Amino acid sequence: MRNKKEQNIEESFDVVVIGAGNGGLAATAFLAQKGIKVLMIEQHNLPGGVATSFVRGRFEFETSLHELASYGPKTNKGSIRTMFEDKLQLDTEFVQVPEAYRLILTDPDEKLDVTMPFGVDNFIEALEKEVPGSKESVTKFFDVAQEISAAFSYIGSTKGKPDQGVLMKEYSNFLKTAAYSVQEVEDALGIPKQAQKILNGYWAYLGLPESRVNFTLFAAMVLQYAELGGWIPTNRSHGFTTAFDAKIREFGGRIEYNTRVDKIIVENGMVIGVETTNGDKFKTNYVISNASPILTYNKLIYPKSEVPEIAYKDVNARIHGLTGFVVYVGLDATAKELGLTEYGYFIMNNMNTEDVYDSWTTLQAPKGLACVVLNNAVPDCSPPGTCMLDITTLYRAEAWEEVKPEDYYDLKTKIAEDLLINFEKATGSSIRNHIEEIEIATPATFARYTRHYKGIFYGYEPESWDSLVPRLMSMGKDVYIKGLEFAGGFNRRAHGYSSAMNDGVISAQLILGKILEEGGKA
Amino acid sequence: MSKKNDEKLEVTIKSNTKDLFAFTKLVPNRMKRIERAPSEPITKDPINDLARKLHPEKQFLIIDDIKEETKSTKTFKIVPDPESTTKELSYFRPGQYLSLKVDVNGVRITRPYSIASSPTDVTKGFYEISIKKEENGFLTHYLWDNWKVGTKIESSGPEGFFFFERLRDLKNIVGIAGGSGITPFRSIAKAIDECQIDARLTLLYGSSEEDDIIFYDEFKEMEKNNPAKIKIVHVLSCEEVSLEGCEKGFITKEIIEKYCDVNSTTFFICGPQVMYDFVEKELNKFNLPIKRIRREAFGEIKNILKHPDFPKEIAEKTFKLKIHIGGLSKEIPAMSTESVLVALERANLAPPSKCRSGECGFCRSLLISGKVYVNPISDWRRSADKKFNYFHPCASYPISDIEMKIPRNL
Repeated sequence: MRNKKEQNIEESFDVVVIGAGNGGLAATAFLAQKGIKVLMIEQHNLPGGVATSFVRGRFEFETSLHELASYGPKTNKGSIRTMFEDKLQLDTEFVQVPEAYRLILTDPDEKLDVTMPFGVDNFIEALEKEVPGSKESVTKFFDVAQEISAAFSYIGSTKGKPDQGVLMKEYSNFLKTAAYSVQEVEDALGIPKQAQKILNGYWAYLGLPESRVNFTLFAAMVLQYAELGGWIPTNRSHGFTTAFDAKIREFGGRIEYNTRVDKIIVENGMVIGVETTNGDKFKTNYVISNASPILTYNKLIYPKSEVPEIAYKDVNARIHGLTGFVVYVGLDATAKELGLTEYGYFIMNNMNTEDVYDSWTTLQAPKGLACVVLNNAVPDCSPPGTCMLDITTLYRAEAWEEVKPEDYYDLKTKIAEDLLINFEKATGSSIRNHIEEIEIATPATFARYTRHYKGIFYGYEPESWDSLVPRLMSMGKDVYIKGLEFAGGFNRRAHGYSSAMNDGVISAQLILGKILEEGGKA
Repeated sequence: MSKKNDEKLEVTIKSNTKDLFAFTKLVPNRMKRIERAPSEPITKDPINDLARKLHPEKQFLIIDDIKEETKSTKTFKIVPDPESTTKELSYFRPGQYLSLKVDVNGVRITRPYSIASSPTDVTKGFYEISIKKEENGFLTHYLWDNWKVGTKIESSGPEGFFFFERLRDLKNIVGIAGGSGITPFRSIAKAIDECQIDARLTLLYGSSEEDDIIFYDEFKEMEKNNPAKIKIVHVLSCEEVSLEGCEKGFITKEIIEKYCDVNSTTFFICGPQVMYDFVEKELNKFNLPIKRIRREAFGEIKNILKHPDFPKEIAEKTFKLKIHIGGLSKEIPAMSTESVLVALERANLAPPSKCRSGECGFCRSLLISGKVYVNPISDWRRSADKKFNYFHPCASYPISDIEMKIPRNL
C-alpha cells in the first residue's frame, strides 16, 4: 500500500538516528534530553530491535535478553541503572536474577554440574569448593579484572586518548593483558584447567572461543556480573525499550516507526540529509546509525561515490559475529513442578569452546546452549500454573545460507526438537509434554525483524586485534564521513545490551560536542 | 580497585617487554589490517534473502482462475503478477492466511483469508483462497461483482499461527470448522495427503444446508485415498438431510466424543464467531488442557454491543479522532461500535494491518489521549504497551474523543 504524499515529512533535524535498537534508543534519549532536535527512524513498528517481546497465547516471551550486566542494585548502581534511574528517569522495573549460572557439561568424560553464585567472594569460594586450590589464581583474575575495568573507565573519560604514563603507572596489568586471549591470560595466571571451565561459563555471551576472545573484555564482563549481579526487566525488554520511547517523546524527540531509511545523503564527505523509502526528506548534518557499518556503507550512503575506500576496507577487515536460534516455550506446568530450579542454564557438551563454536558453523544441533527460566526471577511473568523457558544457541549465519524456504520449517523444527531433548537430558526435566506455546526464531527471523546484515545480533568478533582497547583508542580516527557516527553492538564497546546502550550515549555525546562547538545550540 | 602499591599484583603473560610491546602495537596493527583488506562492496545477503522469501513485505498477485464451489463460495486461484516484482510465491505452513488489500470504491481495506491450497502448490506457482459471500458483508459482495480473471491483488506474506506444530500438538487432530472455516483445513488435509504433515485429521464440519458444503467431493476423495489419515464428518443444522453418514444438528460434546478420543487429541477450531461461542462451551465440558485447543483468529468482533462490559451508554455515539500519521494531522469521525481501524480505513488513513483480530500487532499505534475499549478476547497487547498506551486499532473501539499517532505503511 503506497502512502499518500501528504503524509510525507520534510523537515530539518539536528540529528537523525537510524534504528531504534538499544544503541539508537540510548543515543536518541540522551540528545532529546539535551534539547537537541532529534528524529529516530525505525523500520519495524516497535522499538528495541532484538530487545523486545512477543505474545503467543497466554505468554509474553522475552526475545533475547538473559540478563543485564551493568544494572546492579540500588546500593551499587551500574552504568545502565544510573542511566535509567538518575539520568533519564525511565519508568521501568528490574529485578535481580537469583544466581550467576548453572553450568552443565554433558560429555561423559567431562561431566560437570555446578551452580555459581553472584558476588566476587562468593564466586571465588564456590569455585574453590569445586576446584580446591583455585582460590589464589582466581582471586588474581578478579584483581586484574578490577584494574581492567578501571582502565576502561579511564580510557572512556579521555575519549580514547589516554595518557601513556597514567596507564603505565595505574593500569599496568591492563596494559600487559590487553593484547591477549582469555586462554593465554588464564594460563599465565595459573588458573587450574577445571576452574577455567567453570569461570568461563559466560563465554557464549561474547560468542568467541577462549583461545580467541580478548581477555580484557571478558574479564571486565565477568567482574561486572559477579559484582552487580544480573538484572532483568519485569515486563520483558519491551518494558524498558517502550519506556525509552515514552521518555524520548516527553523530551520532545520524534520517532517514526515503520519507516525505512533509503539514503543517507552525503556531499563532499559530509552528511547533509536522510531520505526514506516512502519519500520523506530530512535535512541534517548528523546521523547516528544504529544499523551496522556493513549495511550503512554498502547500502545507505548516497551517492556511492561518497563511500571512501577505507570504509569498505574497515567493513571487510573485521569479522562479523554470530546470529542465533531460539526456542521459546510456554509450558503448562510450573518451574517447580518441572524441577527447574535455576534461572539460567549453560548447557555445553564440553568446555572445549573451539569445538562448541565449530558446531555453530554447520546445520547440526549445536553443542552449546544458554537457557532461561524467566519465572525463577519474575514469578508472575506467566499465568499461575505455567512457566516460560527459552533455549538459545548461536550460529554463524553462513550455516543457513543454502536453506530453501520449502525446507525451512522442517529444519527449524528438527533443530528445536534436538535442543529440547538436549535440555531434557541435561536437566532431567520433562518439557516436551507440557508445551502449550512454542515459537522458534532462526537467523532468518532475526533478519526479518531487524534487517541486520545476515540477521547478526552480535557485532564484530572481539578478538584482541579488534577488541575494546584498539576500538576505543581509534575513536575519532574511524570517522570516515563527517557527521556520521555509529551506535550499538557493532561499535566501539562491542555487543551486549549494556554495551550497546553505553555506546549510544558516547556517540550522542560526541555529536553533541560538535553541535555545541558549531554554536548551533546553546 | 588495584591493590595498594606495596602489594601490587604484577602479571606477566609472555614477558614484561613483550606484553607492553603487544599493547603498543594494538592500534597500529588494527589499522594495518584494515588498510590491507579488500575494498569491494558487499552486495549479497543470503539470510535476508531467505527472510524476504519466507516473509515478503508484499506479494503482487493476479487472479488466474475462478471456480464456483457452491452457490455462495468461490475459489480464486492466484499467481504472481508477471508485470510485478513478485517472481515467486512465498512458502507457507498449512493453516496460515494471506492479508489481502482491496480497493473498495476508493477505500483501501485489508482482509485475512486462509490459504486453501497446499504448500506444494506454491512450487507449482499458485495459491488458492476460497471466499464465501456473506449476506451482510459489503466486501464479499464487492469481490463477487469485481474480482475477475486478471484482477490484480496486493497481498501480505503468509501470516498466522494456526498450523500443526508437531512439537506441541498431538498427532490426532480434530478440526472443527464452520462455513468458510473449512479453508485452512483443506490446506492441512492436502498436506497430510501429500505426506508433508505427519498427523491424522478428523474434520467435524458444520454447515447449515447441504448445498453450502464447500469441498464436499474433494474431501471425500482425500478420505477415500487416505482413510487412515483423513476423515470428514458433515454436521448439518438443517431439517432435511439427504447425504449419507451425516450428523444432524450442531457440533456438540456427544458428536465430538463419538469421533475421537478427546484425551489424545489436539483440537483446531476455525469458523464464524457464533460457532466458537457454541463449540467452546461444548469443549469446556471435557476440561481439556488449554494447549489441546487451538483457535484461528476470527477477525473483528462482529457485534461489540453484545459484550457485557462494553459501555452501553455510549453505544452508537460518534467521536472525533485526531490522527497523526507521518507529516499529516487530520480529524476524522468514528463510531463507538466500529473498530478504530475501520474508521481509519474509511478516511483512507489505514495503518498496516493483517489479522484484524488484535493478534498480529502490525497496526500497533500510540494513544496520545482519550479512551478505547478493548475486549479481553482480542486483547493481545504486550504488557508494556498497555502501560505506555500503545494499542491495536483493529481490536479497539473509541469510547471518547481520541488523539493518536499511527504508523505509515512501509
